[in-house]
Amino acid sequence: MKKVRPLLFIISWGLLVGGCSNASKVKQEYRDQIGDTPFDANLDDGNFKLCDATNVLHKRAYVSYTGGIKAMEEELFSNYKYQSAYRTFTGTFIIRFLVNCNNEAGRYRMQILDADLNKITPPENLAAHMLAITKKLNKWNHAVYKEKEYDGYRFITIKMKNGQLVKK
Amino acid sequence: MKNIALLLVFTGSFLGYAQPNCFVYPEESGERKACELSYKAIAFQQGSKESQMLFDKAIAIGPKFAWAYYEKSVPYFKRGFLYEGLQILNEAVQLEPIEYLCYRAYWHWQYRNYELCIKDLESYYSLPKAYMQTTPGGEKDMRILLGLAYAKSGNYTKGITILEDCINSYESKDAVGLADYHSLGMLYVLNKEYDKAIVVLNKQLAVLKDMADTYYYLGLAHKGLSNFEEAAIQFNKSLETFENRNRFININAGFAVYPSDVKQELRAN
Repeated sequence: MKKVRPLLFIISWGLLVGGCSNASKVKQEYRDQIGDTPFDANLDDGNFKLCDATNVLHKRAYVSYTGGIKAMEEELFSNYKYQSAYRTFTGTFIIRFLVNCNNEAGRYRMQILDADLNKITPPENLAAHMLAITKKLNKWNHAVYKEKEYDGYRFITIKMKNGQLVKK
Repeated sequence: MKNIALLLVFTGSFLGYAQPNCFVYPEESGERKACELSYKAIAFQQGSKESQMLFDKAIAIGPKFAWAYYEKSVPYFKRGFLYEGLQILNEAVQLEPIEYLCYRAYWHWQYRNYELCIKDLESYYSLPKAYMQTTPGGEKDMRILLGLAYAKSGNYTKGITILEDCINSYESKDAVGLADYHSLGMLYVLNKEYDKAIVVLNKQLAVLKDMADTYYYLGLAHKGLSNFEEAAIQFNKSLETFENRNRFININAGFAVYPSDVKQELRAN
């Protein structure tokens, strides 16, 4: 069993990073809304539930973090563990996810771009580490829009230069 | 500009980038059909399947009609699909750089890629027919964004020159944006030109009194001149303004100030 896990992990990563990269190919598959992220048993925590899956908000500005971007960034910075192998990496992690009406986050998806905004594969473990520290952020506030509470999508951008996080 | 910005801020309306007139394209041409389909597309919710299908149809029938690419790209950028958004918008930029370079620059700014933001805006302003364009919400002249992007890259002097030139280019004071003096004053502070900062930040207060960030930078300017008492007064005003739920929020500004920043300054003062 132990030997299978890394393989599963790699497959999961391929799905996570590759799963959201098809827009440039002429592949005529349309979701109801751009960015809709259905549950994927290979990637997602089955315990993460939406309050109303039929009405999820695509308005990122309504999902906030307690203490703002500053507080969020401080947490990311303090949890980030630099390794010398990361030194070769300069680019941007864009991580999308959902925040449900109970302020829990889930269904993370990521794209990783270099300084010229081409897709890039970062050094081993780096993407997994970035995802792990993003998942640790636990002060999300769900969207309230026109006095109604919603599950909502949000994304964050993390910039990195030579393996070091860059402040906003 | 101030009036336009006020109108947009208070009505929440969106100043679309150059909505085209379909009748300028010959009847039965691909562009004409693409134009009409794109108008049908924007009648549906942004990012919806219906709208995306219509944009794709428009692009297939009139691949040289830039507005369809632009409109199609918008929800991708707004939802964290930077790569996909760019693949689409790049087509519009290639077809009509004068119309869409600023929009691409805006998204580079949003995703904090200041080098590419500068590159696109410098390309735009080198075009002989470049005209005054604003951020999509209308609140900032794109030249202000260019100056702020230089500042983000560490080049405060260049940022200051661009902001000064932008503000001086307006024929009337009313044309100055709601937070333009704030942006310039802030850059003076960052560049340690405290006397100039105080003059300009006070001009900002004549435009708007309810922006917490302005008092913060005014406090820093006084601190820089060792006027610690006046600095404390300004820091306290900043904190008071943060309490005001209806305070002015300076969007697309970068360099955001938080109450914790102000409290830290007060403790250190």
